[in-house]
Amino acid sequence: MNLIWVPLLPLLGCLVSLLLGRYPRSTMALGAAILPAIALGIVVSLAPEVMSGSNPVVTYDWVPALSLQISFMLDGLALMFTLLILGIGLLVILYARYYLSEADNAGRFYASLLLFMTAMLGVVLSANLIQLWFFWELTSVSSFMLISYWSHRSDARKGARMAMTITGAGGLALLAGLILIGEVVGSYDLRTVLASGSLIAEHSLYPVIVVLVLLGAFTKSAQFPFHSWLPQAMAAPTPVSSYLHSATMVKAGIFLMARFYPVLSDTHLWFALVSLVGLTTLLVGAYTALFKHDLKGLLAYSTISHLGLITLLLGLDTELASIAAMFHVINHAVFKASLFMAAGIIDHESGSRDMRKLNGLFRYMPYTATLAMVAASSMAGVPLLNGFLSKEMLFAESLHQETFGSLSWLIPLLVTVGGALAVAYSLRFVHDVFFNGEPIGLEKTPHEPPRYMRVPVEILVVLCLLVGVLPDLIVGDLLVAVGASLMPAGVPEFSISIWHGFNIPLLMSFLAVLGGVALYRQRRHMFNFQARFTEVDPKLAFEHMIQTLVERARSVQLWLDNGSFQRYALWLLLMAIAAMSVPMVNIPHARGSLEVTELDMVALGGALLMIVASVATAMLSHQRLLALVTISVVGLVVSVAFAWFSAPDLALTQLSVEVATIILFLLALYFLPQKVSLNHLSPGRIVRDMGIATAAGAIVGTLTYAMLTRPFDSISSFFTENAKTGGGGTNVVNVILVDFRGFDTFGEITVLAIASLGIYKLLAGVRLFVPAADMDGRPWSKDSHPLMLMQISQSLLPLALLVSAYIFLRGHNLPGGGFIAGLITAIALIQQYVANGVVWMRDRGDLKFQWFIVWGLFIAFASGVGSWLFERPFLTSWFDYFYLPLVGKFELASAMAFDLGVYLTVIGATLSILANLGKLTTTDRPTRPGRRS
Amino acid sequence: MTSLNNLAVYSDYFVAALLIGGALFMLVGSWGLAKLPDFYTRLHAPTKASTLGMGATLLGSLVWFSVQEESLHIHELVISIFLFLTAPVSAYMMGKAAIHRRRPMAEGTRNAEEAERAAERKGINDRDD
Repeated sequence: MNLIWVPLLPLLGCLVSLLLGRYPRSTMALGAAILPAIALGIVVSLAPEVMSGSNPVVTYDWVPALSLQISFMLDGLALMFTLLILGIGLLVILYARYYLSEADNAGRFYASLLLFMTAMLGVVLSANLIQLWFFWELTSVSSFMLISYWSHRSDARKGARMAMTITGAGGLALLAGLILIGEVVGSYDLRTVLASGSLIAEHSLYPVIVVLVLLGAFTKSAQFPFHSWLPQAMAAPTPVSSYLHSATMVKAGIFLMARFYPVLSDTHLWFALVSLVGLTTLLVGAYTALFKHDLKGLLAYSTISHLGLITLLLGLDTELASIAAMFHVINHAVFKASLFMAAGIIDHESGSRDMRKLNGLFRYMPYTATLAMVAASSMAGVPLLNGFLSKEMLFAESLHQETFGSLSWLIPLLVTVGGALAVAYSLRFVHDVFFNGEPIGLEKTPHEPPRYMRVPVEILVVLCLLVGVLPDLIVGDLLVAVGASLMPAGVPEFSISIWHGFNIPLLMSFLAVLGGVALYRQRRHMFNFQARFTEVDPKLAFEHMIQTLVERARSVQLWLDNGSFQRYALWLLLMAIAAMSVPMVNIPHARGSLEVTELDMVALGGALLMIVASVATAMLSHQRLLALVTISVVGLVVSVAFAWFSAPDLALTQLSVEVATIILFLLALYFLPQKVSLNHLSPGRIVRDMGIATAAGAIVGTLTYAMLTRPFDSISSFFTENAKTGGGGTNVVNVILVDFRGFDTFGEITVLAIASLGIYKLLAGVRLFVPAADMDGRPWSKDSHPLMLMQISQSLLPLALLVSAYIFLRGHNLPGGGFIAGLITAIALIQQYVANGVVWMRDRGDLKFQWFIVWGLFIAFASGVGSWLFERPFLTSWFDYFYLPLVGKFELASAMAFDLGVYLTVIGATLSILANLGKLTTTDRPTRPGRRS
Repeated sequence: MTSLNNLAVYSDYFVAALLIGGALFMLVGSWGLAKLPDFYTRLHAPTKASTLGMGATLLGSLVWFSVQEESLHIHELVISIFLFLTAPVSAYMMGKAAIHRRRPMAEGTRNAEEAERAAERKGINDRDD
């Protein structure tokens, strides 16, 4: 079977779980389990291939130019993690069937769980760095949903937020690191990266890359000082804790370090950083675990400690350390998942997780107690169990490392201390909960859980024993395959066995057990000492930090984005000036190589007119109506300039846009204060604004001059040459719009449609102040629709429509086209609104502007899709010449249908903006449904 | 052939006369816009003189291009129709606005009190009779 099904099947299972939401629990659990089980089958069937040294790969190109692929690879490392994810995932599905209460929405739970499973599988199987990162973030998102599963609880929400923020921030660092790796290696393909040898380690960016990647790994794997989210995530349902926070997600950081172990490790920086962080985490986690009264809290800190242990192993510069690390990943997942499940059972059947209340449970639930005791012994590192083996390997490796020179002897010592602490908290877990007198103040009498709730724990505990007794048989081959991923150069010979003879590691184990027992016996003194610290709730501290941050951000935002248009314009211009001035300084001469055209009086006159009008607009800006007149002079001169420089299409467009804009201005001005005083402006501000405006003008002017005096070779010659032969039209502008770049135009009219719908939405229900008089206090004339204006406007309408039809039809070959024609029609209709009023228009058939937009877009789309019928790409145009008597020879082109779509969309969009703005003063104003006012 | 050439020559004179006449009218219109004493009289200059000047120019263009390209050019006709329809209405609307705003009138304007009454009037739909 194809490898892609491995992550895909759980994703489908996610849907299955949602669909089965109403069925009985067992059906639902079965439905959720079936697809991951098949995926597990696929992985197992592929396992022999991986063990024999070849890695199955599937790759689909997505954006090859950016080296983006969808690519999955199953190597030894991925195989180990895949087995853990799917295996423990299935057990958790079974366990959750009994854990969730009737009130819980199990469908949502399973769906989130399977989504997480997909994400996790994606992380370990990805053979593309960007894809890996995508799944990495998906684990954060899905774990957020799982932690906040009981979203009515404040601690669940806070814990989820905290986990999301910290792991998400780490994820961003990771993205930066991965992109840098991609830049250094030149490919995002994982195999290329892994085969690049020491390329990255010798690059000058190496320290940055290592720190960024490790930030990602440390946050995800709850390494000190980023560990505080993990205990808070214990607000999640226990199956989640057991799955995410012991077996899989927290191991993603470990996985990441292992994934890049071949290319990133083997430097002093890596060893120092990773081992120190790992060691600190190991000690801090183990020490804190001892003092936790909450069962899950103890397990959470012990998880942190064990993650630190694995990290430490990855940071030791000895031959077998990384193998030991991977071995401990398996062992820890197995015993910790079972311990979490046991804790969940205890919680479920006794109603409490507080170890001060839970005592002597052995009498009530002997089976569960036995299982938990075996798993806890494994956690403590008792011989014959799997935890012992990897801990022994850690002790052995810690003796061989040399990273810290003459101080290296400290490592084995501190590791032994960590081991003693682990023994102590394991002992506390076992002794406090199952023995130590009678339960105190429990709400219900504890009893054994349902039969099948114990099955997952049993399976895991049996695995603890099996691995512990027959390690080489069970995991030997797998570890060799994993080793091949971590050390491509060759895996050193190693054997995992229970008995290595009397040696120093055994002595260290012995000391650790002794020390642990001693610590536990003397715990009262330690508790007393610990009580002298003021306890800080990391959740609240984090909330405080976040809220301070949000407040700061808000004040910055209010400063930047204060709702004043002037402020936005200021930032925009300043940014533009800053971005442009440096390149402009680097251009030696503004004047390029082209000959300057001779000055003629017409151009000069137009330019002068435009300058005068622009200055007048700026100076009259407080007298709005007058400013509108002067700015329309600018617009008209620009239109004339287009015509003068042989751009009739632009001239026509500019002219009609100008008219529509002026109407829009007038409508908006109606609602704005008629008179604005400039007295409140400080002289400093006026000088500042004038300075900025001058600088921007100078830069843009120089840029234009430089552009126009340089030879400009673009693809426009292609358009000119092919407009007639390829597009069947002599109007190049129109052929570009509807044919060569029709897809662009389609996007643009869609944007136009969305914008006008957005404006409609903004206008709907808005109640503006409607002035009853002009600025001098004169009431509006009651004769709002003079007869003469009405009559003439009505008689103009057919003429205007005729013109717009003419402009539309000739558009393909002569200046014109759907856009201009649409604007003309829209303006003609607006004229009717202005002259005759909204009521008159409504009585003569209410125009539904939205339908214009809908039909316009539909026709444009259909004309594009139509080319599929002829097996051509989207929007391929067709044209031919026909002959009709009377009419003569004429051309038909499919582009005209597209242009019709443009035409209708433009009418709909323009009218829905202008007419609805105009309707604001009438009872026909746009309203929100159900709130007609 | 000769008759066509003759036509071209005559039409040249005709077109020239129209263009010069049109330009003159437009000059007068602009002059008036600057020189006339109050808003109401100034309104006459662009709406009457300039529209006439524009019409003459358009007619000249029509004749010139029709003769040059030997086919009837009606674009200018359409433009003229638009112009002749819209110019009076805009003048009318501006005049109405000016009366409503009670723009001052030049000394000696006849029937000035009519304007006052028009401004007082409540509108065409609710006449107070």
